[in-house]
Amino acid sequence: MITKQNFERISDDVWQIPQSFRYDMRAPARLYASEDLLEDALQDDSLNQLVNTATLPGIVKYAIAMPDIHQGYGFPIGGVVATQGPDGVISPGGVGYDINCGVRLLASHVSADEVKSYIKDLATALYKNCPSGVGSEGKVALNAKQLDDVLENGAEWARKNGYARKEDLQRTEEYGRMPGADANAVSKRAKDRGRDQLGTLGAGNHFIEVDRVAEIFNAAVADALGLFPDQVVVQIHCGSRGLGHQVCTDYVNDFQRAVREFKIDLPDRELVCAPLSSPEGQQYFKAMAAAANFAFANRQVLAHLIRRSFEQALAGHVNDCDLHQIYDIAHNMAKLEEHDIDGKRIQVCVHRKGATRAFGPGSHVLPDDLRTIGQPVLIPGSMGTASYVLIGTVGSMAQTFGSTCHGAGRVMSRSRAKKQVRGEQLRDELASRGIVVRAGSMPGLAEEAPQAYKDVSRVVDVVHRAGIGRKVARLEPLAVIKG
Amino acid sequence: MKRFEEIPHTADWSFRAFGKDLRDLFENAAFAIFAMEGGGTPSKVTERESTRKVDVNGIDYESLLVNWLTELLWLQESNHETYHRFQIDSLSLTELRAQIFGAPITQLDKIIKAVTYHNLKIEQTMDGWEVIVVVDV
Repeated sequence: MITKQNFERISDDVWQIPQSFRYDMRAPARLYASEDLLEDALQDDSLNQLVNTATLPGIVKYAIAMPDIHQGYGFPIGGVVATQGPDGVISPGGVGYDINCGVRLLASHVSADEVKSYIKDLATALYKNCPSGVGSEGKVALNAKQLDDVLENGAEWARKNGYARKEDLQRTEEYGRMPGADANAVSKRAKDRGRDQLGTLGAGNHFIEVDRVAEIFNAAVADALGLFPDQVVVQIHCGSRGLGHQVCTDYVNDFQRAVREFKIDLPDRELVCAPLSSPEGQQYFKAMAAAANFAFANRQVLAHLIRRSFEQALAGHVNDCDLHQIYDIAHNMAKLEEHDIDGKRIQVCVHRKGATRAFGPGSHVLPDDLRTIGQPVLIPGSMGTASYVLIGTVGSMAQTFGSTCHGAGRVMSRSRAKKQVRGEQLRDELASRGIVVRAGSMPGLAEEAPQAYKDVSRVVDVVHRAGIGRKVARLEPLAVIKG
Repeated sequence: MKRFEEIPHTADWSFRAFGKDLRDLFENAAFAIFAMEGGGTPSKVTERESTRKVDVNGIDYESLLVNWLTELLWLQESNHETYHRFQIDSLSLTELRAQIFGAPITQLDKIIKAVTYHNLKIEQTMDGWEVIVVVDV
C-alpha cells in the first residue's frame, strides 16, 4: 500500500519513490504532480502500477508518470518508460490497446463571432459526415492490398488517395508514417476488424470538437503556429479502432510465452514484454507501427470529412471556410528515439501510455518551420471544459525523455458517472452554456461528464511549472460530436 | 452461488467471477462479459437462439480464460450477436472446447474492446473458484 510518506519530494511538482522501496524495482519511480494531484493519485491503484513499471528490464533513469495519472491495467495512464538495449524491452501494455490514440488540431481563418449563427448546422454536418458510435463503419472501401498500403504508409496513403495535403503530413508526428511498419506482422483478425473502420470516430472518450481560442498565453508561439484570439479550431480525438485493439491483444497473448522463454519475472502479466532486439520484440514493433499508421490515416480521413462539413455549413456565409493543420500527436505509442543521458547520446525505446511527445526547440525531427519553436502538444480537456495547446521544451528533453501529459485524467468510474449524471440533462446543461452537443449515446455522454475527470487546468499548470511543456493557448468548446 | 459482481475501476470495467469448479468459473466469466455490456439487462434480442462452437488454446488457465473471453467478443463483433448461455465441454490447462448460445442483436450501447491480464489470477476459495478480470472499454 503506497502512501505519501513513501515519496521523496524532489521539487515542488516532482515526487520520487526510491528504487529501494521494493526489491524488484530496477529504477526509481517519479511522479509529476502538485501536492493535491498526488493526494488524488493515492486514491486508486495508479501509483502501485507506476512502481510496477519500474521493474521492466533495461529501464533507463526512472519510471515516470504525468499529473493526469490514473489507474490503467499494467501501466498507469500517464506512464512513460524508456528502455535501452540489448536487454531493454518493449511492452505492448506500455503502448495500450488503442495504438496511436491521439489528437489532431485543425485551424480555420474565421472567428467564433463570425460563425455563431451556424454552429448548430456545422455540428449537424459533422455528426452526419463523420461516422461515429459503437461498431460504426467508414465510407472508405478497402480491399486487402489497399489496407496493407494504409498499414505501411499511413497518412502518405491518405495523400495519394486525395484525403490529405502535403502540409498536413508536415504537421503530423512522424510525418504521419511510422517507419518500420510491416503489414505481415498484423494478424488477419486485426485486419478484418479494421478494414471497414477507416475514417470512423468510434465511441467512448473519442470526439470531434469545434472550439474557439479563448486565451493566448504565449503570443509569439501562437502567432508562429497560426493561432489567434477567438479563432475557430477543431480537435479530433481517436485512434486505431478495432485493428489496434486486436494487435495489442494478439501480442499481449504471444508475449505470455515470450516472458517465460526470456525468464522475465513481472509483478503483473499485463506488463509482458520481450527484448526489443529479439524477433518477438521486433515483430511487435512492426505491428505497432502498422496500427499507428492506420490511426494516422484514420484521423486524416476524418480531417477530410471535417473540411467537407465546414464547406457545407459555412460556404457563402464566411469568406474562407478552409481548415489548415496545426499538428497531430500520438498519446499511446512506443518510439525509438535518441536522448542525452548522463552526457551521452543514447537510443532508447520510449513508451508513452496516455502521455504525449513534447520535443523542444532544436529537435531535428521537427519540420523546418517548427524547429526553432518546438513541437506543438495538444491536450484535450474533459467535455465542456477547456483544452490546451502547449509547446515542447528543452526541459522535457532533459527530464522526461521529451514527454508531457495527455489530458485531464479520470477520477470517477464510468458506472458511478452514469449513476450521478443523466446524459440528456448534461446535453441540455451544455446547450444552456452555448455548447452544441451531437451524441449517439446518452449513457456514453454521461460517462464523459466533466465531473468524471480531473481539472485539466491543474494538470497543465503542473507541466508548465515543471518546464516539461509550456502553455500556448486555451481552447473552449462550441460544439461536441461523439458516438 | 453468485455468478459475478462488478468492481469499481476508474477508467474501465472490472468484475469478479465465481464458480463451483473451473468450468463453472469460465462459464460465469463469459456470462459477466455480456451481462455488463447489456447494463445488467439482456440486450435487445430479435430472433431464435443460435449455437456456435468455440475452441481456444492457451499456456495456462489464465491465458485460456483471456483467450476464451476474447474469442467470445470477436464472435459478437463479427456476427452482431450476444450470448447468454455457455456450455464448456472440455477444459484442460491448454485447451477449451465449448458451445455457446445466443441471438442476433439490433443494438449495443457499449462493447468491451479487450480483455486484459491485469492482476489476473484464478484462485481457489472455500466455496470454489474466483477470478478478477479487468477489461478495456
